[in-house]
Amino acid sequence: MSTLGMALAILGAALAACLAGAGSAVGVGLAGQAAAGVVTEDPNKFSKVLVLQLLPGTQGIYGLLVAFICLSNIGIIGGAPAEMSLVKGAMYLAACLPMAIAGYVSACYQGRASVASIGLVAKKPDQFGKSMIFPAMVETYAILALLVSILAIMGVGNASF
Amino acid sequence: MAVLQMQRISLCALKKDRKAILETLQRRGVVEISDVALEENDNFFQKSDTVQAKQGFDRNVTLANQALDVLDTYAPVKTSMLSMFEGRTPVTVQQFQDRVQKREHALAQASKLTSLSKKLAEAKAEIVKRRTQLDALEPWMQLDVSLRFTGTKKTAAFIGSFPEMLSSEEIYSRIAQHAPDADISVDCISTSTEQVCVFIVTHICNAQAVENALRASGFVRPASPPKEPPAQRKQVLEQYISQAQAEITSIEKEIVSMADAREELRFLIDDMAMRSEKYEMIGHLAQSRRAFILSGYIPKRYSAALEEELSRNFDVAISFSDPSEEDDAPVLLKNSPFAEPVEGVLASYSLPGKGEIDPTSIMCIFYYVFFGMMLSDFAYGAIIFLGTLFVLTKFKNMEQGLRSSMKMFCFCGFSTMFWGILFGSYFGNVVDQVAQTFFGVTLPAGGHVINPVWFEPLNNPMKMLTFCLFLGLIHLFTGQAINGYLCLKQKRFKDFLANSVFIYMLVGGAILFGLSTEMVCSILGVMQNGAPLLSASVGSIFGWVALIGAVGIICTAGSAKNPLAAAGLGAYALYNNVTGYLSDLLSYSRLLALGLATGVIGTVINQMGAMGGPNVIGAVLFIVVFLFGHLANLGINALGAYVHTNRLQYVEFFGKFYEGGGRPFEPFAAHTKYYKFKED
Repeated sequence: MSTLGMALAILGAALAACLAGAGSAVGVGLAGQAAAGVVTEDPNKFSKVLVLQLLPGTQGIYGLLVAFICLSNIGIIGGAPAEMSLVKGAMYLAACLPMAIAGYVSACYQGRASVASIGLVAKKPDQFGKSMIFPAMVETYAILALLVSILAIMGVGNASF
Repeated sequence: MAVLQMQRISLCALKKDRKAILETLQRRGVVEISDVALEENDNFFQKSDTVQAKQGFDRNVTLANQALDVLDTYAPVKTSMLSMFEGRTPVTVQQFQDRVQKREHALAQASKLTSLSKKLAEAKAEIVKRRTQLDALEPWMQLDVSLRFTGTKKTAAFIGSFPEMLSSEEIYSRIAQHAPDADISVDCISTSTEQVCVFIVTHICNAQAVENALRASGFVRPASPPKEPPAQRKQVLEQYISQAQAEITSIEKEIVSMADAREELRFLIDDMAMRSEKYEMIGHLAQSRRAFILSGYIPKRYSAALEEELSRNFDVAISFSDPSEEDDAPVLLKNSPFAEPVEGVLASYSLPGKGEIDPTSIMCIFYYVFFGMMLSDFAYGAIIFLGTLFVLTKFKNMEQGLRSSMKMFCFCGFSTMFWGILFGSYFGNVVDQVAQTFFGVTLPAGGHVINPVWFEPLNNPMKMLTFCLFLGLIHLFTGQAINGYLCLKQKRFKDFLANSVFIYMLVGGAILFGLSTEMVCSILGVMQNGAPLLSASVGSIFGWVALIGAVGIICTAGSAKNPLAAAGLGAYALYNNVTGYLSDLLSYSRLLALGLATGVIGTVINQMGAMGGPNVIGAVLFIVVFLFGHLANLGINALGAYVHTNRLQYVEFFGKFYEGGGRPFEPFAAHTKYYKFKED
């Protein structure tokens, strides 16, 4: 029994929420600057550029999701914290890392793709459908990381160490 | 599945009927007019230049729009949030004609409104100007002579300011430094941290010396001093301001009194926009002295009715013909009410190109299913479903595009409700949370008040993932099947083998072979009684099938004369297909990820809301957190579901068979903003 194991598991959850959230903040912030510029020229494009601005925001939510699943699995949320070995805690930490790292990087770059797509919509508003796809391509990798993190956390939860 | 068949239409008629014929075509809105190709040096037919006339109409539209803006600013009409759904007002042709008879009057009204708004701006600028002057005068208010006062016969007066805070002693000593012999009297009119305003008197004989001294010590005369003493001047300025204010009030009143012109202006805008389009079309016609020729495209289903109507009323010669291979015929889609709403999704990718089919009716099923799975919450689905249903039933007159989107989300909402029930999600876990927190119900671990009809994805993510990938496989294979169908239709049998038969064998065989191995089955969680789903012998058969498919692709997919080069290209195609299918399939895991995200975040919101405990404050907190939290969650997840459903169609599904590139059908029609014609 080790309290360090619990600390590592919480560190994992915190990293997932922090890094993915920070990436989303960067991405949404970048896109927001571009979107505001477009709206000064043409306020009618507000709803379109808002959608594009929000696209890099999902990583933060995925990070929250992973953190939540992790925290509820180890009993910090909605239950008594169970005893945990050092190895198991480290496994939780490792399970959270895909979401933390891929979430951060993909959100930053998705923000850049969103900026470019906002520029596209500013010039050709009728191409809105296509412009959404470019940022959504980047998000694929965040989704894959989310999947791996969820499956890994579930797996670690069932493992006995 | 229908791209409407287009026909070329050629029409020849007398010039005296030109206006009436064009107006008929514009009201029907079923013909796209294209440029009639004229031979060079055609002595008989010519085109008229209508650019100037069109610009004239466009200018009027701009003027009337400005006038409407003025009216909307000063005499706004109260509109509800829902008014955006109302659509254009239907009028009969006769009503429209009656109203636009008075277009001169409407134009005059528009000019009057714009000139009034110009006057208003001037009056407002006047007030700002006078206020600035008042501010500049403020420090001088205690002075009872004019700022231009320079002295009497025997005295010289200097009125001005020092740009710093000085006491009168300091001023005396500064002047004394430069003009020690002069007797002066300094009155400080006002003092602030930025400047001190002074009135200095001296004997006339010292005037020059004092002036030099003042200049050396930073004294500044006021810019453009008024004739009257400050107090009087203030009154004058205030009078100017109140005059300007009165003018503003009277102009605003006048603008408000013209509020009735709004309707007239709207008719004017629509009328001018229609005429502008009509004149643009006239520029496309070939015209002789007494006749004209029109050419364009018409969907075949409308051609008979149009021919009948035109030949009944006018002397015309109409002929229809099927477009030739070189013609760039426009594309118009027609689908069942269930599939039609998704046409917009297809159009925003690209309309079907030559020889392609309209995939809307197949795509729509996947569209609704995927959207529902990604949002997968009964309550969210119900909100979307009921909201759009309300709008659809309340506003029968809604414009076509908006109506389609509403219908699409209505179907999507229904699908979301369906999946929500299957996966047992109602605002996340709100039922359990409320029952536990406020009604003291104790649930066993993993128990629910309302159990999911099928299973709970969070507790069994592998099962959900397997299901998602299975749906993805169906989606991809459907796309592949359409590809095969197109190959057969165009008699490209080799491509049919390479793009359909062998790919089915390869992918299908490989997957079924996988299901006979313990590794794949245990990952996917489809073991039966501890053994793989398929026995090893069956599996090996499918393994061979996959191998045949792979070899087949290598042999058929490459098209080069040199057999080795062809095989190389084929091997490359095989590699592309294998990696492509792998990544495409994995892409469907977003169905699981987004579905989980909605449910888990909803649960987090409920837990946060319940932190206040089972008391009144706790209940209030719960309601507040519940409302805002779920609104935000619904918004962001509906957006995610929409974007990623589109992506699955555009990238994974269309990637298998669809290229697009069709040109949308843009008929000559009444593209109005406020009124539309109803059939008499």
